[in-house]
Amino acid sequence: MLNYAWFIFLTPIIFAPISVIAGKKRKILAGVLASLSITVSLILSVIVWLSIRGTSTPIYQTFNWFDNINAGIYVDHLAVVMVLMVSFVSLMIHLFAMYYMKDDPRKNTYFGETALFTGGMLGLILASNLLEFFLFWELVGLCSYLLVGFWFFKPNAASAAKKAFIVTRVGDLLFIIGLAVLYSLLTVHNVASPLSIPYLINNAPAIASEIGAQNLTIIGLLFLGGAAGKSAQFPLHVWIPDAMEGPTTVSALIHAATMVTAGIYLIARVLPLYANATPLAGEAVLYIGAFTALFAGTIGIVVNDLKRILAYSTISQIGYMMAALGMVTTFGESVIGYSIYHLVVHAVFKALLFMTAGVILLTLMELRDVKKMGGLWKRMPITISLMFIGSITLAAIPPTAAFFSKDTIIDVAYNYFIMNGSNIYSILPWVFLVVGALMTALYTFRMFFLVALGKPRSKLAEEAKDPPKIVLIPLMILAFMSLTLGLIQYRFYDFIVPNTTRVVVPMIIEYTPLTVVAIGVLITIGIYGTTKWQRMHLEKNPVYRLLKAKYFLDTLFTRVIAERVILPLSSGVSRLEKGFSISIEGAGSGAMGFGGILRKIENGVVEYYFVFLIAGVAILMLLLEILGGI
Amino acid sequence: MFILYIFILAIIFAIISILMKKGSWEIAMVESLILMVFTSIYGLVRFSTYTGGMISTSSFAIDKSIGITFSTGMDGLSIALLFLTTVIMFAAIYTARNEKFDRRFFGLMMFTEVGLYGLLISRNFLFFYVFWEAIIIPVFLLIAIFGDSRKEKASLKFFVYTQIGSVFLLLSILTLFSYYGPSHNNVFTLNMSALLNPSFITKDITDKVPFWTYFALFGFFFAFLVKMPSFPLHSWLPDAYTSAPYPVTIVLSGAISLMGGYGFFAVLMPIASVIGAGIAWTIIGLGIFSLIYFALTAMFQTNTKKMMSYASAASMGFISISFGDGLLSSGQVSYTAFAGGIYQILAHGLIMGLVFASLYLIKQKAGTDSNLSVSGLWRDMPYISAFFLAGIMASLGLPGLAGFISEASIVLSSYYVLGAIIFLVIFGMIITASYHIWVVQKTLNGPFNENLGKIKDAKASEIALLSFLFIIILLLGVYPNLFFGPILNFVKGVI
Repeated sequence: MLNYAWFIFLTPIIFAPISVIAGKKRKILAGVLASLSITVSLILSVIVWLSIRGTSTPIYQTFNWFDNINAGIYVDHLAVVMVLMVSFVSLMIHLFAMYYMKDDPRKNTYFGETALFTGGMLGLILASNLLEFFLFWELVGLCSYLLVGFWFFKPNAASAAKKAFIVTRVGDLLFIIGLAVLYSLLTVHNVASPLSIPYLINNAPAIASEIGAQNLTIIGLLFLGGAAGKSAQFPLHVWIPDAMEGPTTVSALIHAATMVTAGIYLIARVLPLYANATPLAGEAVLYIGAFTALFAGTIGIVVNDLKRILAYSTISQIGYMMAALGMVTTFGESVIGYSIYHLVVHAVFKALLFMTAGVILLTLMELRDVKKMGGLWKRMPITISLMFIGSITLAAIPPTAAFFSKDTIIDVAYNYFIMNGSNIYSILPWVFLVVGALMTALYTFRMFFLVALGKPRSKLAEEAKDPPKIVLIPLMILAFMSLTLGLIQYRFYDFIVPNTTRVVVPMIIEYTPLTVVAIGVLITIGIYGTTKWQRMHLEKNPVYRLLKAKYFLDTLFTRVIAERVILPLSSGVSRLEKGFSISIEGAGSGAMGFGGILRKIENGVVEYYFVFLIAGVAILMLLLEILGGI
Repeated sequence: MFILYIFILAIIFAIISILMKKGSWEIAMVESLILMVFTSIYGLVRFSTYTGGMISTSSFAIDKSIGITFSTGMDGLSIALLFLTTVIMFAAIYTARNEKFDRRFFGLMMFTEVGLYGLLISRNFLFFYVFWEAIIIPVFLLIAIFGDSRKEKASLKFFVYTQIGSVFLLLSILTLFSYYGPSHNNVFTLNMSALLNPSFITKDITDKVPFWTYFALFGFFFAFLVKMPSFPLHSWLPDAYTSAPYPVTIVLSGAISLMGGYGFFAVLMPIASVIGAGIAWTIIGLGIFSLIYFALTAMFQTNTKKMMSYASAASMGFISISFGDGLLSSGQVSYTAFAGGIYQILAHGLIMGLVFASLYLIKQKAGTDSNLSVSGLWRDMPYISAFFLAGIMASLGLPGLAGFISEASIVLSSYYVLGAIIFLVIFGMIITASYHIWVVQKTLNGPFNENLGKIKDAKASEIALLSFLFIIILLLGVYPNLFFGPILNFVKGVI
């Protein structure tokens, strides 16, 4: 019998086509059905949570999928936290989307796709085998592709969807090479089901001694490649800002709260493999994460598109989670707690921020330039107040939840520095993360002040007003959670990994991030709290131009690699192919005197054909007779 | 025996089709439907408990003294491909509802099906060869009569290429045959299982692999690589695929393309232990080169049909790779590689069926299959667009669909043999993903090209076929054991 936990992810998947079809006639049904199915998932998740809360035995049920690959569900404390978060946030966003998408003629398709996405995401979390995990990994990628391109008639959206798919595909294929290495090496050692997650995480030391820590490091690096593609880490982060062309609820659901954290979940899921690999695997995760946290933050401070600011902040925040996981060799499995706690908090406040952005864009008719907004706090007080809560959470100002989750990660990075030789190399992560916190404060309050304060700088902004209060209820719930989730910090850590190490750092270090944030807030008040920014002309400044050009990485990928390398290669090869084809024909007619003979064959080709066939069979018979008669 | 009755039924059907003057489409459609249903029922009944080896064997001696028998039999490989054949033939005939196609067309289609059926059930090299040849005639005629303006050149090229391949096939069979008798007390046979015996093939006085073995291997490889097609023997493919009318393209890409792969796994896999590492690496090299070369060529095509023809050729590269991997590895890794290769034949055929069937509808409704002159098709034809997108996604190996199971098996098992070379395979897959996604962006997305005028979405009957193909692809992607189990048992029984 199937365990009821299967239906956590099966229900939305089954309801996805139903809501598309049922919603065709009565549009309202689509959103209702999709939300209902996710409510079922949420209820089931809560039941599962209650049932495994007290024990450390996970729910594990599996079947043979094909060959020596099993598929099934594996629900431990980590997974149950993730399903609770995903189904809850997804439900909030679905409820809000019923308002946000109310006028779209294809909203049945929209809700079908988001329900499918939610099912895929829940399946990814519960998967008990890495290949099954990869199936859902790609399914959510497909949904992301479809939903980014949901407004397919917008050329920008179509091209953003293409970019998102291809860039993540690069990461996905690195991931599958990692699976190939793991599979090949373990199968040779006669492991019955080499990609099964419980097997991998329970036998990691044995696996390391069997296939060698070196190989495990290669696997870890390749998995990191996959995670970097999905979770938009440097240098594969380029697709997320473009993906903002999709509906804002999609950005909230997929590109802020859930799918982009799948890479973090992947690494957390197989963390014992990293723990038993050489330290390089963990360090790569740490440095990529810490660097991305800073790197994306610096771009965020010059972007003017409201949604793209949030997109860069997502990249940056995921960098923090990644960095936390990277410290596994020093702190053991405790890092899962640090990372996942920030993941959950981030999902809540980022979903909130995106939905407030959605409300603003709806009333401003998709005008996304923050320089054209302003003065909205007076015109839409409830929405902007909610956005304020989201912003202070993003900037990790106490007492919001992110203050607890993010500053813990920064403090852990300081301890990493102490425990790893206190050299210039090991202090880098901490420096990156602290400067990243400054960047966070800068771009968050720059965005907030430009949106909320001052005078309206466009006609649309002047006429903005709050939507009906009832549609803001999901946002209020998320805002409430942003403020209060900090209360459960240590219980959360211990639920995921029993006896998580408590982080203790010197007082001065503990207050460093907060000081940095305060400085950041003061700077933004100085510039954007007034009208000073309107008199600043940075267009000539080389640093500004470098940031504005996003460090030329997009240019490198599209203008250089795609257009200067792949495209000419393709053109050259297809020209070669054409020439090859023509020369074959030429050689053929030359060798056979095609002019005459071929035309003859052409005229009576079937007769000739039978001559060939019969001659062949005749020779065979003849040989049979001759040889048989010997 | 039951399978033999279906085969005889297929012959009767083909004759009926060519004789009946009216209602050719309806007749052929029902006939191919019956064949598909019967074959599927047979497969479900007999292969649910399949544990390897040959089942449903039957044998009619034609000349006992020299060992010619019409012997038939089924195994995990042939049931998978037989299912593919009947589904693809049904789909091709179903889409061919067009006044242009008369009874000649449907008769030839049914004869193609007979040929494929015969090839897949034959266990005697004489009949293997006869059916191998017999498939060429109807397909050649279908292209030559019903093709587009370049049909003469295309059909001739197809004919000459496959004919040269067949000559080599014949020579190889003759070689095996003529060396078998003298070393077996002058008992002559054309039985495939007797001739494809590694201990016979390597048997020599000096205990070395004799020269004629290499000759025979070369002939087999040449014949199968032409049919596959693999670089550099592929020149017939783009011409034949694009020149043929769409239903014939479906047959070419879905069913005819299985012949090369079938040859690999039915003829060459049993003698895998004879094939040296040099040959195996050559095959892998050709496979990887084909994958990248065809993918890069496809990327630059402005005609979607031609693009997908090259895409079809590129994904055949996986079969070569898997075959070489299987040869160079042992135990479970080689099972996975070989089984993945066989599953790839099945998955590729079905996926190409869906891609070309939906592209045919786009061509009919929008009037062109050039990807530069259509855009924004989602707006007016959401159903066709959805199925075309599904086909494209399946073709680039999206998990949950049939192509993923085979590509995953092949890639997973290939690291053991390929090591870092696996990055070349991945490079090919990235190129594949890029142009697949590009063609979707170009044709389905973007603003609607108003020059196309008013276009209609598919009718319910057309959607039914596309859904049917899609459901099979989805089923084989989610529940692969339906075929993967028998295929794996077959592989384990042979190796």
